[in-house]
Amino acid sequence: MKNKTRSFVCAATVICFAVTVLVGMSMFGSVPMALAAAAPAKNFPATGKNITLVIGYTAGGPTDMGARIAVGALEKVMAGAKFDIIYKPGATGQAGATFVAKSKPDGYTMGVTNVPAVNVSYLDPDRQAVYGRKSFQPLANMVVDPGLIAVRMDSPFKSIADIIKAAKANPHKITITTTGLQSTEHFWSLRLQNLTNTQFALVHFEGTVPAVMAVLGGKVDVLFGNVSDVSSHVKNGTVRVLGLLDDRESPFLPPGVKTLQAQGIPLVGGSFRGFSLPGGTPKEIVNILGDAMRKALNSDEVKEKLSKIGLTWRYMDTPQFEKFWDEMDETMVKLIPITKQ
Amino acid sequence: MDVLQNLMNGFAVALTPQNLMFAFIGSFLGTAIGVLPGIGPAAGCALLIPLTGHLDPTGSIIMLTALFYGTQYGGTITSVLLNVPGEAASAVTCIDGYQMAKKGRGGVALSISAIGSFIGGTFASVSLILIAGPLTRMALEFGPVEFFALMVLGLSLLMGLAGKSMVKTFMMGIVGLLLAMIGMDPVRGSPRFTFGRMELMDGIGFVPVIMGLFGLAEILENAEAEFKQVFQNMLSSLVPTRQDIKDSAMPIVRGSLLGTVLGLIPGMTNTASSFLSYVMEKKLSKYPEKFGTGVIEGVAGPETANNAHANGALIPLFTLGIPASPTIAVIMGAFMMNGLIPGPFLFKDQPALVWGVIASFFVGNVILLILNLPLIGIWIKVLKMPYSILFGLILAFMVVGVYSIDNTTFDVMIMGLFGLFGYLLRKLDFPMAPVVLTLILGPLMERSLRKSMEISQGDFSILWSSPISAGLLIVAAVFLISSAFSFQLFGRKAKSSRAEDEEV
Repeated sequence: MKNKTRSFVCAATVICFAVTVLVGMSMFGSVPMALAAAAPAKNFPATGKNITLVIGYTAGGPTDMGARIAVGALEKVMAGAKFDIIYKPGATGQAGATFVAKSKPDGYTMGVTNVPAVNVSYLDPDRQAVYGRKSFQPLANMVVDPGLIAVRMDSPFKSIADIIKAAKANPHKITITTTGLQSTEHFWSLRLQNLTNTQFALVHFEGTVPAVMAVLGGKVDVLFGNVSDVSSHVKNGTVRVLGLLDDRESPFLPPGVKTLQAQGIPLVGGSFRGFSLPGGTPKEIVNILGDAMRKALNSDEVKEKLSKIGLTWRYMDTPQFEKFWDEMDETMVKLIPITKQ
Repeated sequence: MDVLQNLMNGFAVALTPQNLMFAFIGSFLGTAIGVLPGIGPAAGCALLIPLTGHLDPTGSIIMLTALFYGTQYGGTITSVLLNVPGEAASAVTCIDGYQMAKKGRGGVALSISAIGSFIGGTFASVSLILIAGPLTRMALEFGPVEFFALMVLGLSLLMGLAGKSMVKTFMMGIVGLLLAMIGMDPVRGSPRFTFGRMELMDGIGFVPVIMGLFGLAEILENAEAEFKQVFQNMLSSLVPTRQDIKDSAMPIVRGSLLGTVLGLIPGMTNTASSFLSYVMEKKLSKYPEKFGTGVIEGVAGPETANNAHANGALIPLFTLGIPASPTIAVIMGAFMMNGLIPGPFLFKDQPALVWGVIASFFVGNVILLILNLPLIGIWIKVLKMPYSILFGLILAFMVVGVYSIDNTTFDVMIMGLFGLFGYLLRKLDFPMAPVVLTLILGPLMERSLRKSMEISQGDFSILWSSPISAGLLIVAAVFLISSAFSFQLFGRKAKSSRAEDEEV
């Protein structure tokens, strides 16, 4: 009996210890925020107070690599300011977005935001997001990852027109990849169907890698991907890009790869990555941070580093990014119901 | 000859003092990250990425790849000694490895797994040099349809995991499949069984579940009695006996083959590789009933398979520029940052770098073996600690580890819940391995079926349309029928022997 009591006490002590450690860890993150609320905007950012940058994707991915380049430049522009990066991966960015939306709107918490992924997360009721459009203050956009349509080198399709013709002749027979259910590529392939009045067989993969493999192996006819993931395969000569979903040609693709617009299909789209603050952040702080973003993101250093890792630089300032965000909401509201059919 | 010449040039690059140092740093960090639960190879590589901008590209890639396959060595240590998997891929090693440690054979388990890891990793690297072309063509043949057939084959092995009761095995298999249902469904994108929790949208975390089922449940069970020393015969030999080596030889060979092949297929995880190797070893063993009580085959096979998988997964990176796992995608990022594009052209454009990196796989595996074997003697001393202190440390280790995966306390609660569940299962004598097997295979199977149906637009005949998938499905059917028969026979034999016992 005595032994049992002793072991119970031991167990209880250890569990209490573990809980304390955990609670301590979570408190550590929230205390500076509470203090910061009282600070006037004039002194922003106050010395000794770090700005937390929330990344809703895994460390080492393209979102993270781009964000780290921006942080390096921001710390130079905002002399004395320090950024802490924290990762909240999960539910395709929704975990990170939730964290940002629920933070104090004092400028000390900032998130990396992928548009339209964030729009979809709150516009689709199935996603049960606890935030909406008003929960975010768009700050600036940094890069775009334009969508593209490609095929295997030995594919009979030589142009977008060939694909459209084949899809019209055999509805639901031409297979086309997306990088996942409700991914950007999923939405843009639906737009393509609408605009060209065709029906493809959409196949949802988990990211670009298995999609590229399936296209190379001849399991799926057409690859719907994005520039940052596919450009290396283009250089390796394994896939041929037939059309780009941007309003200009891409420096990461061979010259002569035309946009869809140039081929008569008015489809422009990609995944945009920028920065946002919690909704309701004071105007002065938004301006201070917006200014810093403008200086940092327009520097040659940032442009060069982004281009090195295959990311397409596309700066938008705060009003431009806000407008773009709202327009994306309108597009997505129409497309989301189609994904549920 | 050309290949040999290239490889020799590669060794000349890999063996320069600077690159040797990078391989050592990578191996060392990899082992450390493997030991720490929660921090996986992807996070480890990501931490080093900023450094690579300032280093020479060959050196930095050697370091990252060494870290990547090094984690597979380290992950074993805590699985065997503490029943806490340091990496998800080493979870299956807990089953027999920990039982070996309890019997005082932990040193042997670690030695054999280090040797197996070395052989598996080297085998996959040799395959990269000699038969990368055919292997890549085979990987490309593996579309969603073939993947699905492979998953069916994997699930058909479930019966092989049966202990005393087939019914209990099936029940646990179904529990695993039910857990795998949690999350966004891959058809419409609607949440299933998430109870409005965003954290469950991606499905239930695999690592928290296995940490709970294996690690926490074990601690709870030990806490029933006075904290006595769980590990006996501590000072027994670390060196495997001749019998151990004989028993492990075939599992290591099979694990090398299985891991290399599965490593090529994107979407296949090395956790699945190690689990399938375990199930296969049990199926092929002359004494399957002994699995789970600390047999060396249950450690040798999976530990070899996960290393062969790690090195095998690097093959498509060099031949096609395709990163077959999230960690390799991070490594590919390091190539790109240096303006290098992995793929066939890299062999022509940068032969010194490519062959240097390939040669470094051999160097790294040797370093890891040299690093790990002597360390076993030190690791094993951990078990000498009084258990009442040790278990507290394990618990703290587990909580911090699980928290650090996604930085969320939700996972810690999941671990706690599954600790209790695992404790109940132990008390009721339910086998735990089937839950884990179906939890790994379930989502992979569902998604590949969904993709197959999308390709065929709902026509099921696509599933046996290709020779590979038809072949795999036939093997699965043979397995199912044969194990149903053998289990019936085995059941009868057991019954009749029990009857005899009663007569006597």
